[in-house]
Amino acid sequence: MRKILATIIKEFILLKRDVAGMALLIIMPAILIIVMALVQEEPFKEYQELRFDLLLANNDHGSVAQEIIAGLKQSKSFHVIDSLNRQPLSSEQMKILLQKGSYKIGIEIPAGVTAEMVNLSNTVANNISKKFGADAILPTRKPRDSNYIRMYFDPVTKQSFRASISFALDKYVTYASSASLMKRLEKLGKAADTSVDTNSFQKVLQGVGIREEPLNNNGKDLVYINSVQHNVPAWAIFGMFFIVVPISGHMIREREGGSALRVTLIPNVQQYVSIGGILFYTIVCTVQFILMLCIGIWFMPVINLPALYLGVHPWDLLPIGISIAFAATAYGCFIGSLFKTANQALPFGSISIVILAALGGIWIPTDLLPIVIQRIALISPLHWGLAAVDQIILRDGNIISVLGYMGVLIGFGILLWLISIFLNNRQQQSVQ
Amino acid sequence: MSLAIEITNLRKNYKDAYSPALDGLSLQVEKNLIMGLLGPNGAGKTTCISILCGLVMPDSGDAFIFGKDCIKNTVAIRSMIGVVPQQIALFGNLTGWENFIYIGRLYGLSDKKIKGKAKELLVKLGLEKHADKRINRYSGGMKRRANIIASLLHEPELLILDEPTAGVDVQSRAMIIDFLKEYHNQGKTILYTSHLMEEAEKLCDKVVIIDEGKFVVSGSPIELVSQTDGCKNLEEVFLYYTGHSVRD
Repeated sequence: MRKILATIIKEFILLKRDVAGMALLIIMPAILIIVMALVQEEPFKEYQELRFDLLLANNDHGSVAQEIIAGLKQSKSFHVIDSLNRQPLSSEQMKILLQKGSYKIGIEIPAGVTAEMVNLSNTVANNISKKFGADAILPTRKPRDSNYIRMYFDPVTKQSFRASISFALDKYVTYASSASLMKRLEKLGKAADTSVDTNSFQKVLQGVGIREEPLNNNGKDLVYINSVQHNVPAWAIFGMFFIVVPISGHMIREREGGSALRVTLIPNVQQYVSIGGILFYTIVCTVQFILMLCIGIWFMPVINLPALYLGVHPWDLLPIGISIAFAATAYGCFIGSLFKTANQALPFGSISIVILAALGGIWIPTDLLPIVIQRIALISPLHWGLAAVDQIILRDGNIISVLGYMGVLIGFGILLWLISIFLNNRQQQSVQ
Repeated sequence: MSLAIEITNLRKNYKDAYSPALDGLSLQVEKNLIMGLLGPNGAGKTTCISILCGLVMPDSGDAFIFGKDCIKNTVAIRSMIGVVPQQIALFGNLTGWENFIYIGRLYGLSDKKIKGKAKELLVKLGLEKHADKRINRYSGGMKRRANIIASLLHEPELLILDEPTAGVDVQSRAMIIDFLKEYHNQGKTILYTSHLMEEAEKLCDKVVIIDEGKFVVSGSPIELVSQTDGCKNLEEVFLYYTGHSVRD
C-alpha cells in the first residue's frame, strides 16, 4: 500500500509541474464542451424549440381558413406570416419569397375552401339526418376536387421536416372539418326541433385520443435532449479519453529517460507502480469529469444555454465516471506500452480517440448513424460511457440500469491494462 | 575464495545482430573487490551487466551473484545489488530529494532510514545543497552523482556501475572515484565498466578484458602491465589484447 501511495504522490508532483499537461486535461475539455454546446445549440433546437416562419396566403377568408390559421398561430412551432407591409400576402408574393430562400414553408388556402367544407359537412349531416328519420335537409352541390390546401417548401428542406409540417396542417384541417360538421349537425337539429349532443358527438368523431406520457415515475419528463444534455457529457468523455496523450507520453519519456529502468531494477514493485499509476490517473480523470459536469450545471446558464440536468439519481454518475476514467487510463497505458517513441504514440493516441469518438456517438448521437456504423460503435468505449451517462441524465435511470455499460468499460480497461503490463515486461526484457 | 559473481559460458545473440553479444563468456569476481570489466564498444559489457540484473535472458550459460542464480532468483538478486546504469535513471521533473524518497519507499525502506541514508550520501557526493533542485536542472556531473545515490539507498552488497563517469568533468570524476574507494572500504564489492583505462588502473583491484563477447585476459592492473610485453600502462595492455581497429 505504501508503494502504491508513493507512486500516487510521485505522479501528483509530476503532473503538478507539467503545466501544459494540466491545461490539456482541464482547460481544453472545458473550452471544448462550451464551444460545442454553443455551436450545436441551434441544430438541436431546430425541431424542438425553434419557431419557424410560415408564409400563409389566405384567398378564402372563410371560417374554415380562420380556424386553420388560428390553430397554426396557437402552435408553438410556427410563426404565421399572412401579411406584408400591412397588406394580405398573395400567393404570388409567397412563391417569390420561397424561391428566394428567405422562408422555408408556404401555405396557400384557395378561395372556396370554406364553401367546399360546408358543402361536404352538409352532405354528411344530411346522410346522418336521413338515417335518424329526420326531415330537415341542408343545401348541397357536387363536390369540387380543385379545392385543396397547398403546401410549398424551399427545395433544400429535409423530407422529415416536410412530413412533420404536413401532419401538423392535416391536424388543423381535420379539426376545422369536424368543427364545421358539428355546426351543421347542430343547425340540422335545431331545424328538426330535436336536441343534438354535439359535445359527445364530437368526442366520438375524434376517436381514441393521443397523449404523451412520461416514462419515469415522476409524472413528467424533466428534460429533452438538447445541446447541453448531449454535448457536456459527450465532450467530457472525449476529454477524459484524451488523457491518452499525457499518459503515453509520460510512459515513453520515463522509458527513454531511464527512470523506468530504475523502477524495474527495484525488486517486486512493478505491480504496485502500475496500480499506483492507474489509480492516480483514474482519480484525475474522474475529477475532470466532475468539473465538466459542474461547468454544465453552473456555467452554461451564464452563457444563455440550458443548465445540465443530472437526472433523478445524480450520484450514480460517480461510479460511471470512475468506470470511464479507468477505461481511458488503461487505454493510455496500452498506447504508451504499444509504441516505442512519442512520435508514434501521440498521433496514434489522439487520432484513435477522434475515430472512437465519431463511432461512439460523441459528435452525432449514435441513433442517427447508419446501422452498420451503429454496430461498429459497440467497439468504442466512448459509446458505452455516453450510453451509461445518457441513461442517468436523459432517462432518469439508476445505477442498476447502467451496470452492463459499466461492466463493459471495466472489462475493456482490465483487458488493456493486462496487455500493457505484458507489453511493458517484454520491452524491459529486451533492454540491452 | 568466496565469489560475488560467477559467470559460466554465457551466450546471448540478439535478434538481427550479425554477431553474438556474448559468446561463451566466463568470469569470476571475488567478494570485497573492485573489479573492472573492460572492453571496446560492442564487447558485451552492458549485456553481461543486464543479464546479472535479470533484465536480459541469456540464450545459455549460468550467472550467479552471491551463489544465487540471476535468471531464477531475480527478486533476491535485485535486493542484493545496486545498479548505476549508463542512463540517468531518475525522474527529471522531481528534485533529487523527491527521487530518493520515492525510490527508497519502493525499496520498502522507512522514511527515517531513507532520509538518513540520502542525507549521508548527499554530503559524501557533494550534493547536499542541491537536494531540492529538480534533476533536470543538475549539471552532467551532478546527475551522475545523484544516479549513484539512488542505487545505494538500500545499502547493496554488490554495486554494479556501467560507465559511471562518462561525460563528467575532472572534479566530479575524482569525487566519484574517491567515493567508490570509500564504499569498497566498507567491505562492499564493486563491478565497474569504463573506457577510461587510467581511471580503471587507479581504482580497480583487478580487471577483466573481454572482446567480441569472449573472455580475453584478467588480473590486477600491475600484473597485466608487467606480464604484457612492451606495455607501460593498462591502456597499452588493452590495445595489445583488443587491437587498434575501430569498433562501430
